[in-house]
Amino acid sequence: MIGKDDALKVLEKVLSFCKNSEASVTLTASDLSLTRYYDNHIHQNLRRHNETLTVRVVKGKSTGIATTNLLDDGSLRWAVQSAQENMEVSGEEEDFPGLPKPEPIGAVNGYVPATANLKPRDRAEACAVVIGAAKAKGLQASGTYSSVVTELAVASSTGVRAYNVSTEAFFRTIIQNGDNTGYADRLTRDVREIDAGSVAEEALARATMYPEAIDLPPGRYDTIFEEYALADLIRFLGMLAFGADAKQQGRSFMARRMGEKVMGDNVTIWDDGLDPASLAVPFDEEGMPKKKVVFIEDGVAKGVVYDSRTAAKDGVKSTGHAAARRGARFGPRPSHMFLKPGDSTRDQMVRSTKRGLLVTRFHYTHCPEPMNVVATGTTRDGTFLIEDGRIAARVKNLRFTESMIEAFSRIEAISKTARITRDWWSTFDSVLPCVKIQDFSFTGSTMF
Amino acid sequence: MLTELNRILGLAQKLGAEYADARYVSITQQPVSVSTDGAPQLSVSKSVGLGLRVLVDGAWGFSATPYLDPRSLEKTADEAVKIAYASALCKKGDGVSLEPLNPKRARWHTPCKVDPLGVKPEDKIEFLTDVIESAKKVPGVFRATASIMSYREEKEFMSTDGRQVEQTIVHSGGSVSVMARGDGGVQSRSFADYAGGGFEFVESLDLKTKAETLAGEAVSLLKAPACPQGVTDVVMGGSMVALQIHESCGHPIELDRVVGQEATFAGTSFLTPDKKGSFRYGSPCVNIVADATAPGGLGSFGYDDEGIEARRAEIVREGIFTDYLTSRELAPLFDQESNGTMRAVGWENIPLIRMTNINLEPGDWTLDEIIKDTKEGIFVDTPKSWSLDDKRLNFHFGQEIAYEIKDGSLGRMLKNPAYTGMTPEFWNSCDAVAGEDEWRIWGTPGCAKGEPVQVINVGHGAAPARFRKVKAGVGA
Repeated sequence: MIGKDDALKVLEKVLSFCKNSEASVTLTASDLSLTRYYDNHIHQNLRRHNETLTVRVVKGKSTGIATTNLLDDGSLRWAVQSAQENMEVSGEEEDFPGLPKPEPIGAVNGYVPATANLKPRDRAEACAVVIGAAKAKGLQASGTYSSVVTELAVASSTGVRAYNVSTEAFFRTIIQNGDNTGYADRLTRDVREIDAGSVAEEALARATMYPEAIDLPPGRYDTIFEEYALADLIRFLGMLAFGADAKQQGRSFMARRMGEKVMGDNVTIWDDGLDPASLAVPFDEEGMPKKKVVFIEDGVAKGVVYDSRTAAKDGVKSTGHAAARRGARFGPRPSHMFLKPGDSTRDQMVRSTKRGLLVTRFHYTHCPEPMNVVATGTTRDGTFLIEDGRIAARVKNLRFTESMIEAFSRIEAISKTARITRDWWSTFDSVLPCVKIQDFSFTGSTMF
Repeated sequence: MLTELNRILGLAQKLGAEYADARYVSITQQPVSVSTDGAPQLSVSKSVGLGLRVLVDGAWGFSATPYLDPRSLEKTADEAVKIAYASALCKKGDGVSLEPLNPKRARWHTPCKVDPLGVKPEDKIEFLTDVIESAKKVPGVFRATASIMSYREEKEFMSTDGRQVEQTIVHSGGSVSVMARGDGGVQSRSFADYAGGGFEFVESLDLKTKAETLAGEAVSLLKAPACPQGVTDVVMGGSMVALQIHESCGHPIELDRVVGQEATFAGTSFLTPDKKGSFRYGSPCVNIVADATAPGGLGSFGYDDEGIEARRAEIVREGIFTDYLTSRELAPLFDQESNGTMRAVGWENIPLIRMTNINLEPGDWTLDEIIKDTKEGIFVDTPKSWSLDDKRLNFHFGQEIAYEIKDGSLGRMLKNPAYTGMTPEFWNSCDAVAGEDEWRIWGTPGCAKGEPVQVINVGHGAAPARFRKVKAGVGA
C-alpha cells in the first residue's frame, strides 16, 4: 500500500512538473490477490500490485492526457511531457468548463485490515471448505476468492486533494451436479463476513434440488429474480440511461421522458456512493464528492449522474460520477445503485405464484435496443418452475428478451431485505432486493 | 531485461520451484479520436512490469510487479512460491505436469511498414478530421466519431526449461461511428478494424469513404421499418460472420473452458472431449482453422506465453470438429501437444488459452451470387449486441443494419435486426461462403476472459456467408 501521505506527495510532484499549464492527476493503486478453483482443486492463484497515474494537463480549452504505471521521477516527467505534447496538438474544446474546483468530501471508512491481510493460505482453506462440501456429495466445485486493496488519490492545480483507501473481498462458487449447477457468492468490505460453509450450503442446495431438469417452452411467465439475477437487469438502466451524456445526446429514454411516469409506483432507484451498504467511495476520479442521485422515484424519471463536463453543459454541479481516466467521451456512470426494498419476502413471492419461474442469475447479457433498454441473456445456475405456490421442478436454461423499462413497470413484489450484489460481468455492484415481475418474456431455450 | 528474468527464475528455483517462467512486458498505446462533439482527444499510456509463474509441488503460483530492483524481484519470487504452496493444499492427484519442451532462443517482430507510434499525432488528427468531415456532409447526422489505435508490446520471456523469446508485437486499427437522431429515435452505423501491422493498415481502411456511406445509412435507418420476426434465410456481411465465429466457435474450442477452468465466469463448452473427431459442428462448407501465423492477423504472434511457436491448427474440417486450442498443461491430458495459444494480457496477468486468428476458410461464392441465389431472406451486417449461454449453444446477435432479400435482390432497409439460434444447428445450416476476394481477417480487440478479466486482441478470417432458416427479429 502506498498510503495517503506518499500518494499525495507523488501527485504534488507531478503538479510541480506541470509548468505553464493547469493539471489534474489521478493515482490508482491496486493490490489484488485471487485464487480460482475448478473440479475440486486450485488451478490459478495470483497476486499483483500495480499503480496507474494519469495526468491531464490543461491550457485554456485544450487538454492532453498521458498514463504511466511507474512512479519514478523519469516516468512522471515522461507522463507530463507527453500530456503537454498531446495538449499542444489537440486543439480547443469549445464546451470545456475547466478543471473543477475543490468541494468538501464526505468520510467513508472502507478499509478493513483483516481483508488487506488475507493470506494465500487463508484463501486456500476457504476454498477447501467448499471443495470438501462438494466432494462429500460426489459433486464438483468451481469458484473464485479474491481480495483487493484499492487506493484512489486525486490532486489538481485548482486545489483538489483527495485520497481514499478501501478493501473488498469476493467469494463465489458454482457446484456442478452433472448439467445442474448451483451458485452462491458473497461480496463485502470485510472478509470476516465471508462464511465459506454457508456459501457452499447455498450453492449445494441449488445444485441438488430437483435433479431432473424439464424443458419449458418460451413464453411469458411471472418470474421471481434472486438478487444475483436482478443485478444484471438493473445494470442496463445504469449503463445506458442514467448517465447525463446519454440524456444530453438523446440516446436514452430519460431524454424524452424526464418527469414522466416510466415505471411502476413501487420502483425507486438511486445511486449513493456514500452509503456504507454499498462499496462506498467518497469521490470520483476528478476528486468531486459523490452525491446521492435519484433516477426513478415512485416510477417517475427524476435525474441522471454528472461529471464536471456534462454538468457544465446542463448548468448544474457534478454529482461525482466521472470516469476521468477513460476520457471525457466515456461520460459519467452510476456506480453504487440501489433499488428501494418493498414489504415482501422471496418465500411469500413463491407462495403467491400460481405458475411461474425462479431465476438465480444470468449469463452474458447484452442490449440489442438501447433506447428501449431491451436486454437479452440466458439463465444459469438454477432456474426453477413454480406451481401452486411451490417450487415444482428444475427447468433447462431459458433466454429472455425484454425491455427493462416495461419489466420494471410490472414489478408485483419486492423483498424487504436487500444485499450488495455484483452482475455477471463484474462491472456493476448494486444493493438490491429480490423482485417478482409479471409476465416476463422468455424467448428461447437451451439444451441444459 | 534478460538479466532480471534470469535472476528471478534462479530465485524461484532456489525457493523450491520445479518450473518457472517469467515475462517482462512493456506496452505503449496511443488512442487518438476526433469527434463532432468537442476537441480531438489524444492520450498515451505506458505499462511496464514483470510477471513470474511458478510450479511448486505440482501447483501454480503467480506474482507480478512493476518494479525490477533486486529487492522487488526477491519479494516477487518469494510471493509466487508461497502462493504455489498454498495452491498445493488443494491440488488434484500429483498436481500439474507440463508437456516437455526443448531449449530454444528466438526473436519475432510483427511485420510492419510504418511504425504507428512514429506517426505524428497531428497527422493522425488531420486524418481523422477528414473522416469526420466526410460524415458531416450528410444531412441529419447528429454525431460522428473516428479513432485510431496504435499499440506496441515489447516482450521478453524466459523459462527454466530453456525457452528464451524476445518479441515486438505491433497493432494498428481505425474506426468510425456515426449517429443519427430523429423522430424514430437514434440509429448508429459504424466500422472498425484492427490488424497486426503498422499505420499502413489504417490508411488502407479508407475510413473517409466509409464515413459518408455509414452516415447515409444511419440517417436512412431512422425511417426504416423494424426487422420483422420470423424464420428466414440470413446472409451476413463479413464483420458479422467474424463475430459469429468468435463467439460460437472460438470460445467453445478453448480447452480450459471444456475442462471447466472457466466455469465460474466465462462458462464451459458444449464441445466435450467425446465430440472431438466425430461431431458434426457444421455443414461440409464449414472449414475453420486457428492460425497464429496469418499475416496481418490481430491474433498473430511468434511465440505464445509458454514459449511455444505460433502455428496453424485445423479446428473444423468439412463440418467435423477436429481440435481444441490447447496449452502445455492441458494438451497432454488428451494425448496432444500444445498448439501454442497461451497468452497473457500485459505483465500482470497469468497466461490463459486464448483465441489466435480463428478463421472460417473462404468458399467459392461471391456475395452477389449468394444474394441472387436467395429467394427470401435478410442481409445483416455489423454487430450491435451479442449474448450466448454458458456452454455457447444458444445465441442472440443484434446488428446495426439489414436489408430485405426478395427474389435474389436486396430490398428495403430494416432497422434493429437480430437473429437467434443454437450453434450446431446454425453452422449446419450454412450453405454458402464467399471466396477469397471478399475474405479478410477482421481484428477483434475486445475478447474478455478470466478472473481478473483479461481483454485481448484476436482475429477472425471471414467472408460473407448464408445460413438457412434462422429465427430473425429481436424478440424472436
